[in-house]
Amino acid sequence: MFKPRMKFWIVAAVAVALMLGAAPGPSLAQDKVIKIGTIFPLTGPVALAGQRCKAAVETAVDILNNKNPAIKVPLADKKGWLEGYKFVLVHTDSQGKPDVGKAEAERLINQEGVWAIIGAYNSAVSGPASLVAERAKKIFMCGASSAASLTQRKEMKYFFRTASTDEVESQEFTDVLAWLNKTQKNANLKTLGIIYENSVFGKNAAQQAMKAAAGKYQIVADVPFNPGATNLNSEIQTLKAKNPDALFGAVLGADYALMVKTMKKMNWLPKVSLNYCSGYQDPVIAKQLGADADFFMGSTGYSPEFQSMMPAVAEVEKIFKSKTGGVPYDSDSIQETIAMLVLAQAIEKAKSLDSTKVAETLYANTWPSPLSLSGKVAFVPGGQNKFALSIITQLQGGKYKKVFPTEKADTKPVFPMKPWDKR
Amino acid sequence: MNKTFRRTDLLWLAFTGLIALAPLVPAIGSNSFLMHVLILVMLYACMSQAWNIIGGYGGQTSFGHAVFFGIGAYGAGMAVVTYGLPPWPGALAGIVSAAVVAVLISYPCFKLSGHYFAIATFAIVEIFNRMFLVWDWVGGALGLDYMIVEEGFANLVWYDSKTGYFYCALTLFALIFGIVRFLEGHRFGYYLRAVRAGQETAESLGVNSTAVKLSAMALSAALAALCGAFFVQYNLRVDPAMVMSLDMSMKFVLVTILGGAGTLAGPLVGAAVLVPLQEFTRAKWGGLGGGVDLIIFGLLIILIVVKQPAGITGIVRDIAKRRGRKAAAEKGGASLGTA
Repeated sequence: MFKPRMKFWIVAAVAVALMLGAAPGPSLAQDKVIKIGTIFPLTGPVALAGQRCKAAVETAVDILNNKNPAIKVPLADKKGWLEGYKFVLVHTDSQGKPDVGKAEAERLINQEGVWAIIGAYNSAVSGPASLVAERAKKIFMCGASSAASLTQRKEMKYFFRTASTDEVESQEFTDVLAWLNKTQKNANLKTLGIIYENSVFGKNAAQQAMKAAAGKYQIVADVPFNPGATNLNSEIQTLKAKNPDALFGAVLGADYALMVKTMKKMNWLPKVSLNYCSGYQDPVIAKQLGADADFFMGSTGYSPEFQSMMPAVAEVEKIFKSKTGGVPYDSDSIQETIAMLVLAQAIEKAKSLDSTKVAETLYANTWPSPLSLSGKVAFVPGGQNKFALSIITQLQGGKYKKVFPTEKADTKPVFPMKPWDKR
Repeated sequence: MNKTFRRTDLLWLAFTGLIALAPLVPAIGSNSFLMHVLILVMLYACMSQAWNIIGGYGGQTSFGHAVFFGIGAYGAGMAVVTYGLPPWPGALAGIVSAAVVAVLISYPCFKLSGHYFAIATFAIVEIFNRMFLVWDWVGGALGLDYMIVEEGFANLVWYDSKTGYFYCALTLFALIFGIVRFLEGHRFGYYLRAVRAGQETAESLGVNSTAVKLSAMALSAALAALCGAFFVQYNLRVDPAMVMSLDMSMKFVLVTILGGAGTLAGPLVGAAVLVPLQEFTRAKWGGLGGGVDLIIFGLLIILIVVKQPAGITGIVRDIAKRRGRKAAAEKGGASLGTA
């Protein structure tokens, strides 16, 4: 009846149609369902971080949907107004692209009918995606995007961020330099270099670093690079030539490993290196780098070494690890679990699924948060968590050791960084 | 009337009918995902048609169109974000700038031929990408984020409904496809195709190939910039990675090649296949992680390109030809039989 060529195309078309129609979606059979959309970079240069953020939200939903008496976080006992409700997640992939993230936010709200959105890791994606949610009066819980500008949009009523910002971290970094100058013999930290990926995250961090350092430290090297670089030779060569006393780095994922390896190859180190966000604090990257990762410092919202300060994390982390093949939480992913748990607490307190009422409740209360360093979360206008905290750690022997502020420290810093040939 | 009704006439009739029905499409849901896909289909068809002028009809494979697209996007974006104006003057400035930049960079590049021209245009995207990343006046790596402005045609922004965007995309579509349709039958179009077929031969017949290629590039760049202005108004954000990237340049080329380069319908056919595939596979499988959607999307492109390198319009043409031959053979057989 059909020629072979025609048959091929008919079979191909039918296969595509079947594939598009056959994949299972989340079940809506239950009446009491609260659909939450997630937007994370599940593919692209920071896919690993995105996958962990996705697993972190799933962890929170596992806790909320099941009775977990061993877990000491609010609502784990599954009693109260939310009893009988199930949270259902609809995951999407932003690919780290703002236009894709915005389109997915629209689809989640208009097609999937989600009640709220959690995301989007990349600051550049969180911006436009949260604008879509704001117009639709849907709550947007942002765990880990660090650009300070996101919570400087005072007109936003439905946007909430649990993590710290690069503005706060920059201030902490300059405090560390002042403390080292005061406490370490011959520290004499006067000059500063900044290396950052040329993205919204990196540029924002660099701007905040310059603001925090203004009048205190002389910036001798301002070194941007393109994320996903195949080599950083010229960037590290520039730093080596300027030889700043301290280095601030806003370097994500695999780029961070490349930066450290290139510094070793060129046999250069500053006296102290402080790093923003996920490159430094990624446990997988730290493990890959081995001893080379040691003596670098950075801001850390969570690492497994913090468990004595945050005992509730251990049980929660077991669920998380079961979803990530044994990889523990890092500072970013734990924020996504916190965001989901705080949102659920607000619904419970408001006893309503009216987004406006829940958003007002989020602002009006201080939320217990055993997974946060400060143990609590509260939002100020613009949606920033005023209790967001991070501790400055230093990698020593592959462990994140707490070094600053001194009242939280458990170890003295190795200063200056140990030269490559003496390790 | 001495012409008989042909199969291609039927295709054109269907095409015109679809265009005529297009204004009724918002009835399917002013803010639906389907509406988003339709808008993207028209936008990508327009972008590819703009590229088709120089890449398809002119035979000059440019991987640099993301630069012109980006200039248009930045023109509109800066008007709104930096200067607090409506996007229109910025879009106009972007269109003119893109045409000027196209002529300036194409003049030396056109001295190269074949693969070397394509490689040179690749490099230009990287140069502009780096330049815009560190240029503070255009927002640098931070890009430009739109604030909330009044909705409507004046600001070319709509938040709660996509109907306005749909009509804008439709207007853009009619304009760009109309221009290319006009060029097809115009002397300039013949010159362009003559240059593609053989530059030396065309020149020996009196065609100024440099002027023809530069004019085509300027027009192509200006139309790409117009698409860029629409893109930024639709996404309410612009940064170098979004618009001035090799990824974006590849979209111009891929859609056209997939549909059929050097044909009027090719860009529309390519966009009508590629965009829904991209959007629906992502919607269906993107959330699984691991790039399942991208793998399936890539496999389908490979499938089409392997089966028919001349694109989807090539497939249609093949089928039409085979049917024509079969009909002729039957007719011939019948004639022989009655002879």
